Amino acid sequence: MNERKIVVPGEKIADSAIRIPGAYMEGGATYAALVGLLDEDGKYIPLESRYRPMLDDVVVGMITDARHAGYSVDLLLPKEGFIPARMLRITLQLGDFVVAKIRKIERSGMAELGEVRRLPKGKIIEFPSAKIPRLIGKKSSMLDILRTNAGGDIVVGNNGYVWMSEKCDIPLLMKAIDLIRSKAHKPGLTDAITKFFEQHKR
Amino acid sequence: MGDEIKQTVMAYMRKDIITNLLDKEERLDGRKFDEYRPVEVHKGVITTAEGSGLAKVGETMVLVAAKFDVVTPFPDRPTEGVFIMNSELLPLASPTFETGPPREDSIELARTVDRAIRSSEAIDIDSFFVEEGKVLGLFMDIYVLNYAGNYTDAATLAAAAALIDTKKPKVENAAIVRGEYSGPLNPKAIPVSTTFMKIGKEWILDPLREEEAVADTRITIATTETHVCAIQKGQGSVTKDELLNNIDIAFKKGSELRKILL
Amino acid sequence: MGGLKDVKLIVDGKRLDGRTAEDLRKIRMQVGIVPEADGSAFIEWGGNKIICGVYGPRECIPKHEANPYKAVIKCRYMMSPFASLEEHGRSGPSRRSTELSKVIKEVFENLILAEEFPNTQIEVYIDVLQADGGTRTASIAVAAVALANAGIPMKDMVSAVAVGKGGDELIVDLGKLEDNFGQSDMPLAISAKDKRLLLVQMDGLLTKEEIGKILDMAERSAAKVSKIQMDVLRNHYAKDESEGFKL
Repeated sequence: MNERKIVVPGEKIADSAIRIPGAYMEGGATYAALVGLLDEDGKYIPLESRYRPMLDDVVVGMITDARHAGYSVDLLLPKEGFIPARMLRITLQLGDFVVAKIRKIERSGMAELGEVRRLPKGKIIEFPSAKIPRLIGKKSSMLDILRTNAGGDIVVGNNGYVWMSEKCDIPLLMKAIDLIRSKAHKPGLTDAITKFFEQHKR
Repeated sequence: MGDEIKQTVMAYMRKDIITNLLDKEERLDGRKFDEYRPVEVHKGVITTAEGSGLAKVGETMVLVAAKFDVVTPFPDRPTEGVFIMNSELLPLASPTFETGPPREDSIELARTVDRAIRSSEAIDIDSFFVEEGKVLGLFMDIYVLNYAGNYTDAATLAAAAALIDTKKPKVENAAIVRGEYSGPLNPKAIPVSTTFMKIGKEWILDPLREEEAVADTRITIATTETHVCAIQKGQGSVTKDELLNNIDIAFKKGSELRKILL
Repeated sequence: MGGLKDVKLIVDGKRLDGRTAEDLRKIRMQVGIVPEADGSAFIEWGGNKIICGVYGPRECIPKHEANPYKAVIKCRYMMSPFASLEEHGRSGPSRRSTELSKVIKEVFENLILAEEFPNTQIEVYIDVLQADGGTRTASIAVAAVALANAGIPMKDMVSAVAVGKGGDELIVDLGKLEDNFGQSDMPLAISAKDKRLLLVQMDGLLTKEEIGKILDMAERSAAKVSKIQMDVLRNHYAKDESEGFKL
């Protein structure tokens, strides 16, 4: 496994049984379950995936219902998330954007959220789950580039929702995020983004 | 159902962002108010049909195919051909499209484009007579393949492209000889539509899905080179002056779009 | 299906379109051509043009259909009214499209790691825009690529091909005329790694020996289709720009 190559579901990625996200074990070997990248060191990175909620994940969502017991939150998951009212010191409104941590995951798939913070006026967009690490960058390096050039705050949820403040240059930021989406796991991403902002300085 | 509620709430919250941009004369994707996304039209993409067109307006993609059959004419118009337009908002085209019987949006799309074509007199329906009790029927199907806003204009473009591409079939002994043709349909006019949306106090053309969700008023105006041939107002209201102004813009945009078709 | 003697399917050792017994028609695929869908793909296989869009996992609706242990797989195969060279068809499902939706769904129920998404549904929408024989096997081939594009975890990829008998010869990839006038039609779907048969249907008359032979032929042909699927996925994820959708 010396060459960087793209693997498809069912292709072997290790000769021993190792537990890796996006892969499955069978008969003492490990196989890809998702289209992914197998890099020069034999590391497997899925290129497409559906977000599976994990405890303590930071997520971004939108309030879709307010009831006595708490709030329903759209998290781009099959089941809406829930914020128990007793966990909050603030009141939330329908349509508010929030950032929170997953505290508990029910059998039904419903994620209970805690450490909820309301986000200021802004916009949210969807971003592919498998490419989120590239949107953030090593130690948030990519996110910093975006925040600086967009002129406003950006918060990325592991669940695939990205919030941007209304203070951002939204059309510019949307184009930049589109560029990251198309170049995510290809070489030269950071250079491409830097060049993009140089060319579009307004 | 969950997706629809979400869209409604999102739309409500997003309106501020969109109107703030509009105040600065900007749109979400950086376009001007009267600017179309990149438009692409391809003809002859479905060879099992007698004519076809694929139109892309930005990411919105619509296919229209035209097929002929020999059918019974309407009793009150025994020598006139039949023209039927159907539309499918394919469930694969958007998370908000569902399977099941045609929704009102799909029916409105079919009837709007039908009206544009029929009124423009593009099709010489009198030339469809075969023999007593038999005429040619032209069946057009609008298939929305990817919905990123404004499927109406894309559908009209695809339908016009299909009309230009369509060949009339050879008819022998009152039956169609498939694979053989008597000549091109040669539409006498090329209708084109322009869809306008009003958000707050600004009018924009060729709306994105997000803009459609927050729009107060929607109106589609179809034109030939010289006439208005169809108008369909959706939600909201317009003043007389707004309508007349939009008609001017529709003629201007219409001729630009028509160039891409020919 | 009949075996009408006046339609000669093999002339001078060649099939009607000039192919030999084991030649496949030309196959071209594209990935991700419906940006709104979670995953999508398009296939042009001979005269077939089929588009597939995948959504999910999403909330299972209606709720009573949900399975607390795994995702429910739903598949809708539809033939467009303009897909055939003959008359304009009717819109909506037919008995045939309902059956095909079911058997195609059952192919993917073997492969999708559905336990990872309990109480949800995964939807596969297949629309045949142009039909020329072998739509169900082409549909399976394109749906597998769309599911991979959607990031739905699967144990394996699957390819498919229809084999059978026409003009007294055992042949692969039956075209429309061979399908209509041949002696037997046997569509098969074969998983790439394990070579398991995930779709097996058959009509007409075949001896056991003939079936043994065409199963081998099917494996060879399915491997060729499998290579095309893999190349298309590899190219899509390696390239810089995505090419425009060419219908």
